[in-house]
Amino acid sequence: MSAHFSRRGFLAGALGSAAAVGGVGVLAGCDPAGPAASRPAVVPFRGAHQAGIATPAQDRLAFAAFDVPGTSRTELVDLLRRWTLAAERMTRGEPVGAVDGSEHYVPADTGEATGLAAANLTLTIGFGPGLFDSRFGLAGRRPAALRELPRFAGDELDPRISGGDLCIQACADDPQVAFHAIRNLNRIGFGVTAMRWFQLGFGRTSSTTPSQQTPRNLMGFKDGTRNVNGEVPADLDAHVWVGPNSDQAWLTGGSYLVSRKIRMGIESWDRDRIGDQEAVFGRTKVEGAPLTGQHERDEPDLAARADGTPVIPADAHIRLAAPESNGGVKILRRGYSFTDGVDPVTGQLDAGLFFICFQSDPATGFIPVQRNLATDALNEYIKHTSSAIFACPPGPADGQFWGQQLFS
Amino acid sequence: MLLVRVAGLVAGFLTIALVATGCGSGSADEASGSAAGATAVRVSLSDDGCRADPASIAAGPATFTIKNENGSSVSEAELMSGSRILGEKEGLTPGLSGSFSLDLKPGTYQLYCPNAKTERSDFVVTGTSASASSSSSAAAAVNAATAGYSAYLKDRAASLVTLTSTFVAAVKAGQVDRAKALYARARAPYEAIEPVAESFGDLDPAIDAREGDVPAAEWGGYHRIERQLWVAGNTAGMAPVADKLLADVRTLATRIAGSSFQAADLANGATELLTEVSKSKLTGEEERYSGTDLSDIAANLAGSRAAFDLLAPALAGSSSGMGLVTTIRSRFARTDALMAEHATGGGNYRPYRQLEPAAIRELTVAVDALAEPLSQLAEQVVTIK
Repeated sequence: MSAHFSRRGFLAGALGSAAAVGGVGVLAGCDPAGPAASRPAVVPFRGAHQAGIATPAQDRLAFAAFDVPGTSRTELVDLLRRWTLAAERMTRGEPVGAVDGSEHYVPADTGEATGLAAANLTLTIGFGPGLFDSRFGLAGRRPAALRELPRFAGDELDPRISGGDLCIQACADDPQVAFHAIRNLNRIGFGVTAMRWFQLGFGRTSSTTPSQQTPRNLMGFKDGTRNVNGEVPADLDAHVWVGPNSDQAWLTGGSYLVSRKIRMGIESWDRDRIGDQEAVFGRTKVEGAPLTGQHERDEPDLAARADGTPVIPADAHIRLAAPESNGGVKILRRGYSFTDGVDPVTGQLDAGLFFICFQSDPATGFIPVQRNLATDALNEYIKHTSSAIFACPPGPADGQFWGQQLFS
Repeated sequence: MLLVRVAGLVAGFLTIALVATGCGSGSADEASGSAAGATAVRVSLSDDGCRADPASIAAGPATFTIKNENGSSVSEAELMSGSRILGEKEGLTPGLSGSFSLDLKPGTYQLYCPNAKTERSDFVVTGTSASASSSSSAAAAVNAATAGYSAYLKDRAASLVTLTSTFVAAVKAGQVDRAKALYARARAPYEAIEPVAESFGDLDPAIDAREGDVPAAEWGGYHRIERQLWVAGNTAGMAPVADKLLADVRTLATRIAGSSFQAADLANGATELLTEVSKSKLTGEEERYSGTDLSDIAANLAGSRAAFDLLAPALAGSSSGMGLVTTIRSRFARTDALMAEHATGGGNYRPYRQLEPAAIRELTVAVDALAEPLSQLAEQVVTIK
C-alpha cells in the first residue's frame, strides 16, 4: 500500500490508539512538497489555478448552484473559510469532521464516503453575476464580462435550474465521492447559502488531455476532439485563464465557467439513419473521424467538396463549432452525460449533455460559438433547458481561503 | 466530537491523518472581544505548538486571543478540561487571530492545537475564584432548564385539554363551522410538545395518526375528524371519535405530569420538532384536508424555541456554547419573520395551498438553517457537569 491515506485509513486509525503520536510534524499524506507518486488519486487543492479546470477530466460530476439569501459579507466570508477547510480535507480523501462520537454527537461528516479514496476529487468554485449586486459590497468588483448570457436561438430555459450566486463543481472518479462533497458543503452552508439547483453527471464527455480517450456522448458520437489541451500551458493561457490585463485584477488566473443543460431527443435521434447522424455531426460514428479523414484526430478539411457540395455539410456541428468558423476561438469543454429519469409529461427519457466549458472571456468564447450554432443541424435533436455563468477565481495560495482574491 | 490523531506505519514511515473537529459547521463566528475585567491571555499558534502568555493565570474571567503566527498545518486552538472543549477558535489560517472568553475556576486545563508538533500543553489556573465557577453555574442552569421544561409541558398539556374540550363539544353539537374554526388552535399545544407525546408510544397514533398511518378501522383522533369536517362537511359519526380524542389527551396530560426529562431530551426534542416541520408540514401532507399546516409549523417552532430558550443559559459558560446560542437565536428570528408574513391574525395562518412555491422553499431553507446548529445543542448540553 502506498503512503497516501484514505478515509478508510483515517477511520481505522481513529479506532486505534488515541495517544500513540507525539512530536511528529510531517503529514506524509498532505505535504504539498511530497512526491506526487506517493499520493495517487489526490489532486492538489491549492495552486495558481483552481483544480477541476485543466485537470484531466474525471469520470463523474456533481454540480451545484447556490443562492445567497442573506446580505452579510462577514457571514459569506466566514462560510468561504469553512468551505475551504472542508473542501481541502475532502480532496485529500478525508472526512470534513468526525463521523462518530459520543451518543449525542451529531456527525460533522455525513459519512457516505467513509472507506472511499479521494478518487481525484476536485472542487471548483465560481461566482455568479448576482453576487455582485449591492449586498456584499462587491458591485465595483464585477468583471464586465460576467453578466447573464444573452438569449440564444432555441433556448427553452427553466429559470429554476438556471443561474445562481455561487457554484461548486465537484468532479471525481467515484460518483459517491462527488456527491458527498456537494452534500457536505451544502450542509455547511445552511444559513448562508441555499442550493438553487443540482446536477449529477454520470459520464464524462470530454477529454481535457490527449492521453485520455475522447468519450462518447449519449448520441453515440465523439465530440470535442479538438478541445483545448489541458497539458499545453500556452493553449490554456490563450483560451482558458483570464490574463493580467482584464478589468478585474482579482480574476487573473481564473476562468469563466458556462454551464448549459442540453436535453437530447433521444427517441427521435435513435430513429435517424446513420448517414444523417454522421452528416449532423460531420464525423463518422464508430471511428469518430471527420467526414474528410480516416482517424479521429485527423484535421477536418472544411473546404473539401464532392459533387459540388461540402463533404462536411454547411450545417454540420463540427463545422459550426470549429475554431476556423469562430475566428480561432477555442473553449475548454468539460461536459458530462446526465439523466434525470423519465420526463413526467411525455414518459420519454430525460437525458442529454450537461455541457460545461471554461474560457478566458465568454464574449470571445462560448457566446460567439453558441451564436454560430444557431443553424446547427443538431438543433433538431437537442434543446437547452438550463444556463448559467460564473467567474471562477484563481486557485487559493497557501493560507488563503477559496476566492479570497475577490474579497481582499 | 474530536477525532484524535491517528498514527500508522504505512510503507515504512509515519502517516498522520488530520484532526477534524465536529464543531465546524453551522456556527457563526465565535464570540469575541474581551469581557470586562477579564485576564488577557495571548496564545500564539505555530507548527511547533501553541504557547500561552502568561502560561498560568488566577481564577476568574479570561479572554484568550489566539494568533496563528505562521503555522501551515495548524488552524485552531482549544481550551480543554479533560475531554470537554471549553472554548475554541477554528479556521485560523496564517496571520489570522481570533478570541474567546471564559470564566475559569482553579485547575489544570489543556491547550490543544491539533496537528502541531506538540498538540497539548497544560494551562494552569490558580487560586480560588471570586465568582461562581462556570461549570457549577452551568450545572445549575441545566437543572433550571429541565424544571422549566416540566412546567412548560404541564402548561401546554393543560391548554391541550381545555382547547380540545371546546373543539370536541362543537363536534358533538354538530357545529361544523365552529369546529373547523377551533381545529387548528386545539391542536397547537399538541404540536408544541409532540416529541414528548410520541415518547408515550400508543398515544400519538391514537391522537395524531393521518389516514393510512393505522388500519382504517382503528383510525381516530384529530385527523379523522378533520377529514369529516372538511371533506364530508358534517360531523356524522364523530361523537365517539371526539370522546376518545378527549380521553386520550387527558391521559397524555396525566402521563406528562408524572414524567421527568433530561437536558438532552430537551435539546433532542427541539431538533425533532423541526424534523416534524420538514417531514410532513412543509410538504402540506399533515393537514391534507384543512390546509392548516402553517399553524402546526408555528406550534412546532414555538415548542422548539421554548426548549432552546430554557437551555441557552446553561451554554453561556463556554465560547462555543455562546456562539451556538447566538447563531440559533438569529435563525429562530428568521423563521419567525417568515412565519409572520403568512399570519392572518388571531393565531391563524394562510392555508398551505395558498403558499407560492417560492415561499415554501424560503421557509424550508430557513428551517434547515435553524435545525443544523440546533442539532448540535444536545452534545453541548450533555457535557455540562
